[in-house]
Amino acid sequence: MLFFGLLMIITGCYCLIRTYHMLKIIIGIEIGMKAVTMFLVLAGYVNGHMGLAQAYVITVIVLEVVITLVAAGVTIGLYKKYGDMDIRNLTKLKG
Amino acid sequence: MEVIIYVSLVFLLIFCVMAVMSHSILKSAVYLALASVMLGVIMYVLGAHWAAVFEISVCSGLVTVIFISAISLSKIKHDEIQKLYEHKKRSAYLPAVLIIGGVLIAAAAMAADFTLPEAAAAISEEFRETLWNTRQADILGQIIAILAGGMAVVVLFQNDEVKK
Repeated sequence: MLFFGLLMIITGCYCLIRTYHMLKIIIGIEIGMKAVTMFLVLAGYVNGHMGLAQAYVITVIVLEVVITLVAAGVTIGLYKKYGDMDIRNLTKLKG
Repeated sequence: MEVIIYVSLVFLLIFCVMAVMSHSILKSAVYLALASVMLGVIMYVLGAHWAAVFEISVCSGLVTVIFISAISLSKIKHDEIQKLYEHKKRSAYLPAVLIIGGVLIAAAAMAADFTLPEAAAAISEEFRETLWNTRQADILGQIIAILAGGMAVVVLFQNDEVKK
């Protein structure tokens, strides 16, 4: 599970580095956070503290949704301003 | 039990890779939802039942709805997306990167003689008691994050007409 989780983090980082599309970047963040969630469950399973691990996992899931919501809002704002979802447009912003 | 975990892990990684490599953002969102389902299965088999339910309902359901609503608000054609973001060219090296990364991780684990410790006997702690009695700060943080997210959505998703 550790091996697969690390590969998932590599996949998420690759997506963050190589793509220009804002929604794909959110997908990359989501993949990385899924790996972290899996590590938390694995840690709870190994230690025997599954209740504590589940409390952490639910916190991570809530934060994941909030991050996705805010990032989707920023993406829509970017689309309304420039007509596409290219992150290279973010460098044109002022203020 | 182990067979289910390993099969789910393989499918989880495949769906994550397909979410990154897919040329269509809609397909990527669907693959991400399928990856969430696989993660939910792994959680359920390991004994994290509540977390599995949250993962499948929230990450596989709500997040996908957010993605699809964001996609439906944009009106870019598929061909234009290819020209703009060069998905095909830029995501082509992912399998090679994963193979190299996998070999390096396996080599590092073998060099360090790393093995995952045996699972300890499950301590009988009720999830609800842990969440409500021990992790109260987490709940406060979650409420603040949800309120902040709600306010951000109201500000960012509001129409230009409303602004005027």
